[in-house]
Amino acid sequence: MFDFLIDGFGVALTPLNLGLALLGALLGTLFGALPGIGPINGIAILMPLAYTLGLPAESSLILLAAVYTGAEYGGRMSSILLNVPGDAGAVMTTLDGYPLAQKGLAGPALGLSAVSSFLGATIAIIGLTLFAPLLADIAVMFGPAEFFALMIFAFSSMSVMMGKDPIKTAIGAVLGVLIGTVGIDSGTGVLRYTFGMPELYDGIDFVVMIIGLFAISEILLMLEHSQNTNDNGKLPPLGRVFVSLKEVLACKGAIGRSGLIGFIIGVLPGTGASVASAVSYTTEKRLSDKDNTFGTGDMRGLAAPESANNAAAVGSFVPMLTLGIPGSGTTAVLLGALMLYNITPGPMMFTERPEVAGGLIASLYIGNVVLLLLNLPLAGVFARVLTIPRWVLVPAIAILAFVGVYQLHSDLFAIYLMLVIGVFGYLLRKLGFSLAPVILGYVLGGLMEQNLRRALSISGGDTGILWQSGISLGLWIAAALLLVLPWLVPKLLVAARR
Amino acid sequence: MRIAADQVLGIALIGLAAFIAVQAIQLEIPFSYEPVGPKAFPLGLSILLTVLSLVLIFRPGANGQWPHKALALKLLLVLALLLAYAILFTQLGFIVSSLLVVTALARLFDATWGKALVTGVIMSVVGYFLFTAVLGISLPSGYWFASFI
Repeated sequence: MFDFLIDGFGVALTPLNLGLALLGALLGTLFGALPGIGPINGIAILMPLAYTLGLPAESSLILLAAVYTGAEYGGRMSSILLNVPGDAGAVMTTLDGYPLAQKGLAGPALGLSAVSSFLGATIAIIGLTLFAPLLADIAVMFGPAEFFALMIFAFSSMSVMMGKDPIKTAIGAVLGVLIGTVGIDSGTGVLRYTFGMPELYDGIDFVVMIIGLFAISEILLMLEHSQNTNDNGKLPPLGRVFVSLKEVLACKGAIGRSGLIGFIIGVLPGTGASVASAVSYTTEKRLSDKDNTFGTGDMRGLAAPESANNAAAVGSFVPMLTLGIPGSGTTAVLLGALMLYNITPGPMMFTERPEVAGGLIASLYIGNVVLLLLNLPLAGVFARVLTIPRWVLVPAIAILAFVGVYQLHSDLFAIYLMLVIGVFGYLLRKLGFSLAPVILGYVLGGLMEQNLRRALSISGGDTGILWQSGISLGLWIAAALLLVLPWLVPKLLVAARR
Repeated sequence: MRIAADQVLGIALIGLAAFIAVQAIQLEIPFSYEPVGPKAFPLGLSILLTVLSLVLIFRPGANGQWPHKALALKLLLVLALLLAYAILFTQLGFIVSSLLVVTALARLFDATWGKALVTGVIMSVVGYFLFTAVLGISLPSGYWFASFI
C-alpha cells in the first residue's frame, strides 16, 4: 500500500531534488520572513523561473512545495519580533508571540515555534500519507457529476470559512471563474470574451494572472505601508534561540491537538492556514487557559497556532493531490503550476504519475526536517531579513515579475496584461476582498464548466444526473448545510435560551 | 446618506454582469452535439454575480481607508514607472531599463539618491549576469546596444 512512498523517497533523494528541497526551504523561509510576501507571493514569483529552468514536473513541485512550507515557518518571524504578521496565517502567532519577545524571550519563542511547526507538520504529513491513497481510491469512482458537486461544495465551504465577509469571498470566486472563461471554448471552438485580441485566444495565462494579482498588487500596496508604518527596523534582542525539552513537553497537548485540528481544516477544500490557526488558538484557550495567561505571553498560546498553520499547509495537499481540488489559495497556485506541465492532479495521479505524488509526499518529510535544522541555528540570520528596507524589496519584486513573464512570453501584451491584473488585484484588496478565492475560482472554473457539460452530455441534458448518485447528493447537502448553518445556529441558540 | 464604496462596487459589478450576459447571448454557436453550449455557464455566473451584488448594495460593509491625494499621485507614478519599464524593457535592454526603473522606484520608496543609484546599478548588472549566466535565461540586451555587446 505504501509502495508509492518508497518510490517517492527514491525520487526525492536524488541529488537534484534534495538540493531543490533545501533551496526551496531556504527561499521559502526568507520569503515568509519578508514583510508582505507570504507563501502565495513567494511561489508566484518563483514559479516562472522554476518552469523556465526546464525542471521536470516532480522537481519543480518539490521546490515549490518546500517554498510553501518554508514560508509558513518564516511568517512567524515578524509576528513574534515586530507584532506584524507576515501573512494571514500568522495573525494568531502575534497574540502570544509578541508578548514573549517583549519579556526578553524572543529566542525561546522562535525556537518553540520552530519545534511546534515541525511537530504539527509531522502529524499532518503522516495523515497525508495515510489518507491520500484512501481518498484517491474513493475519488476514482467520481464521475463528472460528482466532481461538479464537489466543486460546489468547495466553493461554499470557502465562502463560509475564508475571510470575514462571505459575500465578498463569493464575489471574488465568481470573478475568478469569469476570468477563467476567457479564450477559446474547448467544447465548441467558440471565442469567448477575447474582444478580437488574438493574444487572448488561449485564455488569460496562468503565470501572468498569478504574478499580476499577487506581485504587482503587492508593490502597489507596499507604497501605502511605507507611509503608514513608523517601524524603525529595530529588532528586540533575540537571546538564545533554543527551547528546552521541558518547555516543549509543557506544550505537548497544545501541539498535538492543534496539529490534528490544523490537518483536518487543511483537508477541507477552500480553507487554509489562517482558519486553522484561529480555530486551534481559540480551542486551546478554552481547554487549557486556566489562569488567563493566554495573550500575555503563554508558550502554549504560541505553540498552538504555529503547529496548526503548518499542519494545515500540509493538509491542503490532500484534496489537491487526490481530487484535483486545492485546499487553499497557495495549493491552487501549485495546481496551476502542475497544469503548466500538462498534469491534471486527481485520483489517477497516484497510479499514473506516482513519481509526482510520491515524490512530493516524500519531499515533505525531508523538507520538514531540513526546515527544523535550518531554523534553529539560523533564526538570527533570518530575523535580519526583516530589516531589509522596502526600497530594496520593491524593485527586486518588479524585476523578478518582469523577467518571469517576459521569459515565458517575450511579448509586451503579456506584460501589459500583468499590469492591468495587478491594478485589478490592488483594487480588490482595497475593497476588502481576499485574493485566494479569486485564484481558486480561476483555477477551478474551467474544470467546473467542463464537468458540468460532460455530465449533462451523458444524461442528454437531464439535470437530474447532477444529484443522482449518493456521493453527489451528499456533497450537495453538505454544501447547503455549510451555507445555512452559520446563519441558523446562532438563531437557534437564541431561541433555545428563551 | 453617503454612498458606501461597497454600493458603488455593487452597481459596477451588476453592470459587469449585464455586459457578460449580453456578450454570452450574442455568441454564435456552430452546430454542436452538446446539450449545454458555451453560453449557459457565463449566463449562470452573471445571474449569480447580480444576486451577490444586490446583497452587497443593500448590506454594504465598512468603508476602507482610501489613499489620500499625495499617495494616489505616488501610486500613479509607480504604475507609470512599471508601464515605462514594460516599454523600455526591449528597447533599451534589461540592464539600462532596470537601472533607470530600479533607481526611480527606490527613490519613490524613500531612499536617498545615493542609495537608490547604488541599488539600481547593483540590481541591474548583477541581475543580468545572474539571470543570463547562472539561470540561462535570455534577456533583451537592447536594440541600441546590440551592436556594442
